[in-house]
Amino acid sequence: MSGSCRRGQTASRAIPAKRLSLPDGAALPPGDYSTTPGGTVFGTTPGGTRIIYDRKFLMECRNSPVAKASPCDLPDIPGVTSPNVEELKIENNHVHNYEEKVGVGEEAQFDMDI
Amino acid sequence: MNNKFDALKDDDSGDHDQNEENSTQKDGEKEKNDRDKPQSSTKRKAVVPGPAEHPLQYNYTFWYSRRTPGRPTSSQSYEQNIKQIGTFASVEQFWRFYSHMVRPGDLTGHSDFHLFKEGIKPMWEDDANKNGGKWIIRLRKGLASRCWENLILAMLGEQFMVGEEICGAVVSVRFQEDIISIWNKTASDQATTARIRDTLRRVLNLPPNTIMEYKTHTDSIKDNSSFRNTKITL
Repeated sequence: MSGSCRRGQTASRAIPAKRLSLPDGAALPPGDYSTTPGGTVFGTTPGGTRIIYDRKFLMECRNSPVAKASPCDLPDIPGVTSPNVEELKIENNHVHNYEEKVGVGEEAQFDMDI
Repeated sequence: MNNKFDALKDDDSGDHDQNEENSTQKDGEKEKNDRDKPQSSTKRKAVVPGPAEHPLQYNYTFWYSRRTPGRPTSSQSYEQNIKQIGTFASVEQFWRFYSHMVRPGDLTGHSDFHLFKEGIKPMWEDDANKNGGKWIIRLRKGLASRCWENLILAMLGEQFMVGEEICGAVVSVRFQEDIISIWNKTASDQATTARIRDTLRRVLNLPPNTIMEYKTHTDSIKDNSSFRNTKITL
């Protein structure tokens, strides 16, 4: 443990109230955002600095347009990364050209998304 | 302690040297990638959340490794086989990477995804890891993708509540089983390791009788193995 990380701090003390407002245009899908009594979107812990998100909130963020953009510096690792998801799905439904033997029977698992 | 992190940063910025070493390997695939992606230039820029994005408590880096069949697994070859996928600072940036990576259940061979705090290498010997250890959960085939997702979402969302103890998480695809693990800094800190264990049970929805194993990295270095000779807890 060290206090040297940028935002982390774990010393115990009273919980300070901290309000964080989202920038305009931060369109959020409807739902429960694990709001704190003060109405912040994410929770804070002693020190007021820890940024906490629950699974549900993180999953909802997945649907925002920024989250769907392609990362600009994604390395191309055959069978591991893909320029975009659509392409990946198409590839998974066809014969793989990679030197690796990718089991065709694993397709079903790929679609097993909840 | 500040020096420690500075040292890590130096380590990290030295990574592209490592990549360059990789590119000299007789591995056509790597050579091509390194040529196509001038990683060293983008690497040095600090990764920050974009406007209107949701910042994370820490920046994290995705790594991928795959054991080359027939090669020895010395520390050096491990370091050479491991590849950085990218670093993110916000929830949205995380999804951008995650959505463009195959799920662990679709990986082939002896492969691992690692997700570590930026500046911490997924290696036992890293300064942040050397006094640490990891919880291990062995999964039957078919469960890895879901469990990995739940594990990393809990880590990114700071669900473990152990201060700065968490270093990163790994999913290891093996022949007959898949293994997920979460690494922490201080193996001797039992309050922390117990809390991590309990959080794991909760976020992964593990049945009460699931076997969980803890292994210190010192032991891993001694027997040069990630998953053998572990301490079992029910």
